[in-house]
Parts: sequence; structure tokens; C-alpha cells
Amino acid sequence: MKRFYHVVAIPIRIVLNNFGDYNETGMMYVLKENEEKVKEAVKRNPFSPVDLVQPLCIRANQGDTVEILFENKIQYATGMHFHEADYDVLDSDGANVGFNPSSLADPGKKILYRLQFHHEGVAIFSDLGNPDSSDEGTSINGLFGALFIEKRGSSWTDPETGGPLNSGMFADVHHPFAPSFREYAFIFHDEMSTKDITGNRPLDPVTNQERESTHAINYRYEPVQNRQKLIEEGVVCADCEGEEVHHDSWVFGDPATPIFRGYKGDPAKFRLVHAGVKETHVFHYHAHSFFRDPLNTDSDVFDAISVSPQNWYTIDTLYGLGSLVGAFGDFIIHCHLYPHFGVGMWAINRVFDTLQDGSQCYPNGVPIKALRPLPDRPCPPKPTKEKPGFPNFIPGKVGCKAPRPPLGIVGGRGLTELERNAAVPTARPGAVFTDPCIIEDNPEVQEINVSLIEIPIVYNSHGWNDPKGRIYVRDEDLEDVLAGRKQPEPLILHMNAGTCLAVNFTNRLPEVAGGDAFQLVTRAYETSFHVHFVKFDVLVSDGANVGWNYDSSVLPGEAIRYEYFADVELKAWFFHDHLFASYHQQHGVFGSTVVHSRFSTVLDPRTGEEVEVGSQVTVTHPLIPDYRDFVLMVQDFALLFDENGCPLNPPEFPGSQDDPGLFAVNYRNEPLQFRLGEDCDPAYSFSSFVNGDPFTPILYCYEGDPIRIRILQGAQEESHSFNVHGLRWKKERPDVETEFQAQEHIGISESFTFEMEVPRSGDYLWTFETEEDLWNGCWGLIRAFDEEVDFLIPLPDQPSPPQRTNPLPVCTGEPPAPAECVEVDAPLDAPVRVFHIVAFQIPILYSKWGENDPFGIIFALKEDMDDILCGRKSPQPLILRATQGEMVEVHLTSFLEFDKFPFPDGIWPYPPVKEQAFYPPSVRISLHPQLIQYDVKSSAGETVGFNPDQTAGPGETVIYRWYVDVQVGACGIWDMADIRNHRSLGTYGTFIAEGRGTKFLDPKTRKPAVNTSENIILQHPFLPERREFVLIMFDGARLEDKEGCVIIDPVDGILTGVDPDELDDLVDTYDNGSRGFNYRTERLINRLRKHPVLKDLFSSRVHGDPSTPVFEAYPGDPITIRLLNPSERRRAHSFHLHGHYWNTDDKDIFSQVKSHEDHIVLGHARDLDIHYGAGSFFNFPGDYMYRSGNMRWDLEQGMWGIIRVHKNKKKHLPALKNRKEIK
Amino acid sequence: MKENNLLTEINIPSNNDIHDEALINEFVNGVGKNVFILTPSYPFVFIGRIIDVVGDHVVVDVKVTTIGELENRNWSIHIHQIEVFYIEEKGMPKIPELKVDI
Repeated sequence: MKRFYHVVAIPIRIVLNNFGDYNETGMMYVLKENEEKVKEAVKRNPFSPVDLVQPLCIRANQGDTVEILFENKIQYATGMHFHEADYDVLDSDGANVGFNPSSLADPGKKILYRLQFHHEGVAIFSDLGNPDSSDEGTSINGLFGALFIEKRGSSWTDPETGGPLNSGMFADVHHPFAPSFREYAFIFHDEMSTKDITGNRPLDPVTNQERESTHAINYRYEPVQNRQKLIEEGVVCADCEGEEVHHDSWVFGDPATPIFRGYKGDPAKFRLVHAGVKETHVFHYHAHSFFRDPLNTDSDVFDAISVSPQNWYTIDTLYGLGSLVGAFGDFIIHCHLYPHFGVGMWAINRVFDTLQDGSQCYPNGVPIKALRPLPDRPCPPKPTKEKPGFPNFIPGKVGCKAPRPPLGIVGGRGLTELERNAAVPTARPGAVFTDPCIIEDNPEVQEINVSLIEIPIVYNSHGWNDPKGRIYVRDEDLEDVLAGRKQPEPLILHMNAGTCLAVNFTNRLPEVAGGDAFQLVTRAYETSFHVHFVKFDVLVSDGANVGWNYDSSVLPGEAIRYEYFADVELKAWFFHDHLFASYHQQHGVFGSTVVHSRFSTVLDPRTGEEVEVGSQVTVTHPLIPDYRDFVLMVQDFALLFDENGCPLNPPEFPGSQDDPGLFAVNYRNEPLQFRLGEDCDPAYSFSSFVNGDPFTPILYCYEGDPIRIRILQGAQEESHSFNVHGLRWKKERPDVETEFQAQEHIGISESFTFEMEVPRSGDYLWTFETEEDLWNGCWGLIRAFDEEVDFLIPLPDQPSPPQRTNPLPVCTGEPPAPAECVEVDAPLDAPVRVFHIVAFQIPILYSKWGENDPFGIIFALKEDMDDILCGRKSPQPLILRATQGEMVEVHLTSFLEFDKFPFPDGIWPYPPVKEQAFYPPSVRISLHPQLIQYDVKSSAGETVGFNPDQTAGPGETVIYRWYVDVQVGACGIWDMADIRNHRSLGTYGTFIAEGRGTKFLDPKTRKPAVNTSENIILQHPFLPERREFVLIMFDGARLEDKEGCVIIDPVDGILTGVDPDELDDLVDTYDNGSRGFNYRTERLINRLRKHPVLKDLFSSRVHGDPSTPVFEAYPGDPITIRLLNPSERRRAHSFHLHGHYWNTDDKDIFSQVKSHEDHIVLGHARDLDIHYGAGSFFNFPGDYMYRSGNMRWDLEQGMWGIIRVHKNKKKHLPALKNRKEIK
Repeated sequence: MKENNLLTEINIPSNNDIHDEALINEFVNGVGKNVFILTPSYPFVFIGRIIDVVGDHVVVDVKVTTIGELENRNWSIHIHQIEVFYIEEKGMPKIPELKVDI
């Protein structure tokens, strides 16, 4: 089918909420038919939000051809670049890339884009005419939208009128065979320049400083700071503090952000889009769950998911609205990053239990808009006087805080008549209007008594501490914890699937929290136990105060009962307080409950006694293999003081959300600054021989034990990258067809379970590995014993470990000796591939514009060292290839010289980290690989725990033996000898595990390729030839310009400069450093200075090709991109290749298809098998840009390049065999 | 072209028939005994007592499956969809008793 949309880009004043916060430089895409209407409405309503001012959402079906007539009314050239689409890149790319003709529209001009869509999902569109990341850019100002690609044969109607719908954020989508569903556009965007109604920068009424930058949904946000002003002025709820009523419609009425409306049980899909420029947000949906991949019922189940700029997900709500138990009420959906949540990045999913025909009102008199039932669903009952339906049976008072729930609070009230009419027959404390446990006949009930207390917590052996730690404890453990007999750790509860859990929660916090260098005095007087994942009555057991629901929290000294049902094995669910979370979650107010399979028994791993709490337990089961279960909860914004009471990394002013404090795991950390040893050599920082075991968790098991690691993030704002060295797990745990991984990005509230076996004894490093996290102590060990120890019971179904014959190793203060024997479990006849690798210092030229690193450190083949030193070969990140079944022997030699380091004094100033400290450069080097097999005691490429030394000093050679048991594709490799002084200089690369029998050919000569080339042809006897392009994304580089001045990226690369007022808090530590691909960068600022025309920035006709790799192919050539990030910073990146797409799991052909890779941080390693080959579905020739989706601050800082698809045969590029003839 | 009888000749009962019948008999002989069954389709696991065999379906009084909602009822399971089974015999290992015991 052919569809046509006439879209206009217009400047528009965007009013973001009812308080009149606005963006005067706003821009939007709008259908031509609405252009005048929206302009007129904005003119008439300059201070209030206008409905039509919304991101453009249009729809098409899979297989449709869509023509977009784009008309530009912005004062410079703009366009519409569509993701997930097939099109002729020469006329419909919506950009001006390489040698393509420009497909941007000049001011006042029109251009026709012709697109086809071949997979269901979301096609984000945005502008690339002005890639400026500053407040002047287009994406930051709202020039984005989405085209939703529906199943073939779908149609859509207006949910209010049932009439036809050309555009809009909400639609009811219908299909001849599939159920109708509610479709909700949920578009995150960030950093939009915003003023308050007076035209000034918005202030926080508590700190009197500027509030956080804008974090919005669909051009709307609802900051707590605005609502707080009404409390301060005595307009509403005079006895309230602010945060606890931030989402309370009883106090403030409904927010300006979208209310996603539906009826109980309606199928619903949120089209989650990140159209913003910078942050990786976490979408969290209360009381509902969804598959990570909606096309794969074996994929992981989530209720919170991270999303990076320009990426998208379909959140296909499992069981429909209200989830399995048929709950109704207000379900908040929000970015879980607290500073974003606080500043207004939240919305409500309102699930009605009665028909809304437009005749009803909310309690504050605002009419409830009509909502048509879905045509294939039963019509909900009409509201009656006795049963008015949600929210009108709730006995609240407008202008005051929401009422407390009936029955649940100990000593609290009973039901009113209207409440009794609305209640289920089995109404009881914690389950009044929905019975979560009725799903199963007579389920087991587990009752747990939990309190929230304040207690000082010491985070490490150097006395770093949080004097105001706040933690959940079981009431039974209260005395022991308060008396210091039990060490504080996050409360980890264990339960089995099919259990009904009753939690009796007591608030034992003081009514007022004191102030200090980090925070102001706050009356954090009510708290709760808010849960994720499990099923419950949202009105009374949400542990929150949302919309027109009850406030299900309690005051100090009060207790409340909540009830939940775990229907299936739900991995680890997160819990925390939802009333003053921004104030105190980073003090430790978080925990988790692990839902094991039914019939599991949870044991204390030391004594074998049955337990129900603990972050390290042993689980036995009559049928499935027994396992060790470990929970790691990472936290940032940990507000710590040193042993002398000095604040560590305090903010500029108390109450600031500008990245205060440090990092920890399970209330512990082990900063590397304390682990230099007597020799002051960073190479032994992780060695327990030199420094003893870390203070952080050591996860105990025996060789061969199955283990499950649950990782969650407890606090508060930032991305983290979890890596386990020497082990790997399946990405989608229930699925056989899925790729292996050894790294996972995580944001707050996300929960992952990784299941694996520990094949050999030794110490395995687990770490949240970005440089700043690791530096500040987010690491620990998995210790697998080869012989029995008296503090760990063997797993009952595993062979007993042998009796101990050797004493356990102890700290000696001395570096360990190298491994005596280096062996790997490989077949005796496995072919051996030997690499002689050297690490040495050499200046690296990063671009044709002169950016360079005079202190570069690279890994290279020994045979290439002289050529590189003489300039005959350019330095590039080390790429090694081997094929499945091969044993790889690496001989690594260090040629590092201490005097060649930029900061031999041991203070590395830029890119910076929090808690700077002395850490002199190491001249030792190592090489750690992901995903392949080796013995961690000899070949992990790091000196960890009580393992032998695996680093090489100057002139020394260390040998590693690795076995490629599986064709895992791209694996990161990097140095672990000195993560502070080496990584920024280039000590990383990739190891690629190719298929058995693969030969590597040079794409120019078709002769055997140099193994380390970034661009080769893979030749295989059974498979078509493929081109393999390697893209090693890096960040955190310390580059100098051609004058020898250090480049302070990202600030130095911002196209239109930075307002000096904003400079101080514009970037976080982890934003710093230069970036690009394969030791190369193409910063746009150089291009702009030479030719100051924004629309030509990516044009090769004007600027020549970029310095970053330009890969070449012919139309239809099969392509695999090996995409990795082995570098160092914590800011997550994304990756998009124009006009192409691939399976999101390269081992599962039924997995979702996307043109985007999400949240790329250290350890990310993926293999992108491009569908239909070069030029995608139509095999169109032209220049296709690959790039980061982060407009702030990747694209203009050089993270982009080109894949060039030639129409005609080129002399330097022989065609692949078996491809059609190229003329 | 001359027909190759070796390829077209069909013997009845075929090896598959014999195999299928033997499986059915195994369940017929197990009526009244406890059984453990794995199937590739939901809900994957069945533990209970064999009540009857009807055609090529075994009727099991299922005490345990993966989730509680589907237990304590008779399940009719297509024998040829069963991937793994174990019928409890005297002197052989007992099927674990799965108890909810928290």
C-alpha cells in the first residue's frame, strides 16, 4: 500500500507544562493539515501547553511504501532521516553524507522522500541538517518524531472518537486476525533549553539554585520543583514536603505529561522512543512486565529497560493493562534515574474499571474524556452511584494528600461504603480492590517483616562511610544489625515462584533527615516498600503515591501490610522507597527478592541451614541442577565521608544532583588508590597477594558449580557496565538460540540474571568496569575452590570436592610469581595459532586535521613493530582473528618506558575521574580477552586475587593460551595492568572468533589478508563470501591538536560554543575525552571552521572523506560489522547505520530487527549481520553513514564514518565471488 | 524407467508403527504408577499418576507441573509429543516429591 504524508518543519514555542515552562526556540514536525491550526493555537495560548504541540507520530504497515513530502520552514536546511527504513540513499536519506547528493531541504523548499518499511516497530525520524549539540541544535529543540510500523493489514482509529486518525500519540490499532490494542507513543527527550514563565532559568525553590536540565516525555514534563512552589505558597497541602506528593493528583490535579488511558485487560503497546540527545534513560513501568524482545517469547522479562539516544523498543504489555491480576488504577511510568524523575520525566498509565463516555469527572471536577472500548473486548460496566469506578470511590480530598489505603495500616481504618462496593470479596490488608493471589488455588503464603532504619555504614577498610546509611532489615535481624553483630548489606530475600508474599513493613526512620555537605535538611517523614515485577493491587500495595491512587506509605513508627504474587520464576525483583527516593535511596534504601523455581530450597552456603535472606546463598532443587546464587547491587551517588569526616566528591552546593558522591556494590567498595602496594605498581592492584582480598563481595563456589549472578542497580542516576572476566552467559537465559555475552549495561532498577558454570578453580574478576567505577572500587572476585573449605558446603548434586591438601593462600605483600604452567582445556590435536604481540609507545595520528596522541600505547604484532615505528604502517587497534576449534597462543612483550608516559608524577588530570589520587604509570602490560576459554590462573591477562602474575614487565614476555570453543565473533581485548594510565592511550583491541574453516582475504588483492586488518573478506567453503568490517568505538582518549594543545572534549568540539554560565556543570567526569572509531576521529568543528555551513558538515564533496574508516562494498555484498567498545567512559553510546538493519541477537534469526545498537559501554561486543547486504533491501548504491545516535556529545566529536556502496566496478576493489556481475 | 521396488514397497507395520505401539504399551503397562514427563511444549513438565491410555494419549492425574495453576487435574498428553519420560518402578529411583516448604 502507498501512503502519503506532507510534513512541515516549523519553529514553534513549546510550553512544557501548566506552570508555563517553555522553550522559545522549539521546533517540530507537523502534518501540513495541522500547521495553521497549531500555529494559531500557540498564538492564542502562549503560556499553556497546546495539545497539537506534540512530537509527530504517523503510522504505516509493514510492506507499505510511504511518501513524505517534506517542507522546511526552519531558517536553515533541515531534513527527515528515517531509521529502520529502506530507501534510495541518494535521494531519501534526509542528510548530506559523503558523495551523495544532499537530501536536505533548504529554507522554504520541499523534497520528496520515498521509503519502504519491512519490519514492525518504530522508525524514528530526526534532522541531520544541523547536528549541533548545543541549545541551537534541532534534535534538542524538538525536531523529531516517529513512524510506527504496524503489522500488515492493520488499521487505526482515534481512541476518543473511534474516527480515522492521520497522526497522533495515541491510537487504537486493529487487525483482521490479531487483537486490537492501545498504542501509546512514549517519547523520551532531554536537555531542551527551557525557561520558566517569567523568562528566566527555572530555579529549585529548595536550593535556590538552577534546577536540573529538562528531561521530558512527548514535549511535556512535570518537575517537582514547580509543584513544590504551590506547597511553599500554601496553595495546597500545607503540611507536605514535596517529593512525597510529586505524583499526587489529589494535591495538584493530573500532570501535564501524557496520561495513557485504557480499560482493565486491554492489550497495550508502548512505542518507547528515545529522541533525545544525551542521556541513557531507564523506562520503568509499575506493576507490569514485558519481553525485552516482543518477537521472542524466550527472551528475558523486564519491567525496566535502558534506552539510549535514537533507540526504541516496543513495550508489549504482558497480560494487558492491569497485568495478570487485572489491577486498575494509576500506574506511573517514569525514567528511574532520580534526578530525571524529579525534574519531571514521568507519566501515568490510567487503567479504568468502568466505562468512560465523557459524562464523568475526576474528583477535582475535570471532565474525564471519553474512551471507546476496544471493539473486540467486552464493554466495561457503566459507572453507577454505588459503584462509580476508579477514581471516584476513593475518599480523598482535593488539595490534600491522597488518603491512606483501607485495611493495610496496622491500627488504621476500615472500608467506606463506596470502597466496600469496589472491593473484592476477599478484601484484606494489602489486597483490597484486586486479589493478586487468587490466580492460584490456595497458594503458599510467605510472610516477611521488614523495617527501614538509619544506621551508619562503613564502605571499606579505609573508613569511607555513610553516617546516614538507610537500609531495609528483617525485623528478626534488627537487634543484631543495630548492635553491629551483623554487617549491613542490601536486604536480599528469597522466595519461590507461585508464592503469595505478605510484607509487614515498618517505618523506623526519624521524621527529619539531617543536612550535610551533600544534602539539605529534609522532612523525609513517610516511606514505603515499593516493588517491581510481582503482581499486586496497585491502589493499596504500590508503596507509592501516584495519581488518584492511595498513598500507600506509612509515617515513622507505623506499619503497613502489602501483598504480592510471584506467578513464575521472575529473577530478582527490585524494591525501594517511592516517597523520598530522591532524597535517600542513595543512602542504601534498596534491596531485592529473588524468585527461584518452585520447590527450591535456599541454604546458608556456610552452614547448610535453610534461610530466606542473604546476598550469597546456595539453592537446591529436586530436578534442576543446584546452584550458587549471588546478588550484586551497584550504586552511584553514594554520599560518603572519609575516616576524618571529610565529604568525598561533595557537590557544589548541598542538594545538588550534579553527580555527588561515589560508587559502591552492596554498600562496599575497594578503591584502587589504596591498592598500590609497596612497589607502587598498579599492575598488582587486584592481587590479593599484594593487598589482601578486597572488602567487596567475594562470591564463593567450587570448581564446576553452576552459579547465578543477579545484578541490579540500587541508586541513583548513572549507567554502569558489568563485566565478568573469564566466564560468559547466554544473553536470553531461557533461549537456546542466543548469543553469549560477558558484559551487560545496567541502569537503576534494571535486573538481570546471568547463569553459567565456573569450569575451573581460580579467582575471576567481576567488575562494573568503566574507568571511574573501577577506580573507585566497584569490583570483587568469584572464587572457585579446587579443594574443600570449611566455610562452603558442596552442592548436594555435585561430586564432593577433594579434601584440602594445600593451605589457602594468604597475603604476602609481594607480587605473585608468573604461572608455572600455562594450559587450556583444548583437544590435543587442536590447531595452534601463535601471535607474538608487543606493546609499545608511539604517537598516534587520529585525523587528517592533526588531532593526535603523542603518548599513544598500542598493541601490535611483533613483525609490524619496526614498520609502525618507522611510519611505514599506521597504528591501529590490535585485531586478532582465529577460527573455532583453534588454540591461540599469545606471547606478549612489554616495551613500555616510564619516561614516555604523559603523567609520570602519578596524577592523571584529563580525562578526569572522581576522587583523584596518586597512581603512577605501570610499565607492565597485559591482554585480557572476553568470551573465549582459558584458565584464569594463567591466561586471563590480569593479575587478580590469588592467581599468578599475568602481566609482562619491560623486556619480559608473558604467554597466554586461549581456546576458541565457540564461534563467538567479536570479543573485546584490553590491558588490565593499569586502567588509569594506559586505556586512554589506546591499550585495547579485539579478538574475533570466526567460523571453523574460514579463510581471510584482503579485499584489495583477494590474497590471504593480514590477520589484523580492519577490513577483510571472509571466505568459507559452505557460505557466501562476506565482507567483515571492524569498528572499535572508543571514548576517553586524550588527544592534542596540531599545535600541541590538549583538546578538552566534548566542550572543545561543540559547534556553536558553550554559554560560559553553563560551562561549570555542563559535562560530567565521564563525558570527558575524545572519541571515534579505530584510533580515528572526524570532529565536525574542524570542518565547520574550514567551511562554516552546517548542512555540508558530512559532505565529502566539500570536505573530502572523513578520517574515520570508509568501508567499501558493492550492492548486495554480504556484510558483518564487528562492533565493540573496549575503552573506558561510563556515558553510554548508541550506534546507527543509515539504511540498514540486522537481528538484535545474531544467533537468533527470529529476534527483533533494528538499525540501532543500544547503550554501548565498555565490554560491549556485537556482530551485526546486515540484512540483504550492502545497500539493504533494494541494494541501492551510495554513501551510508554509520554513527553514534548521541547528538550530545558523540556525533560532532567525531564518532561517525561511511560505508560506501559502489555502483560501478572499481579497480581497487575486486568483487566478491558468486556475486552478480558489477559493471 | 524400471521401478525400483525397494524404494516404493511399504511394509506394514512399519518400523515407526512398531516404535509408536511399543511406546503406547509402555504407558498402558504403567497405568496406576507415577510418571515424570517432559514435553517440548508448554507447560513442559508433568509429574503425577497414570490414569489411563486412550488411543495414543496418556491421561495423567498431574500433581506437579511448572506452575501451580495447572496442577491437580487430569491432563491428556499425546504420547508421541513426549520427549522424555520415566515411569516409577519398584526398586528403581523414586520421582522426587516436590513440596512447597518455605
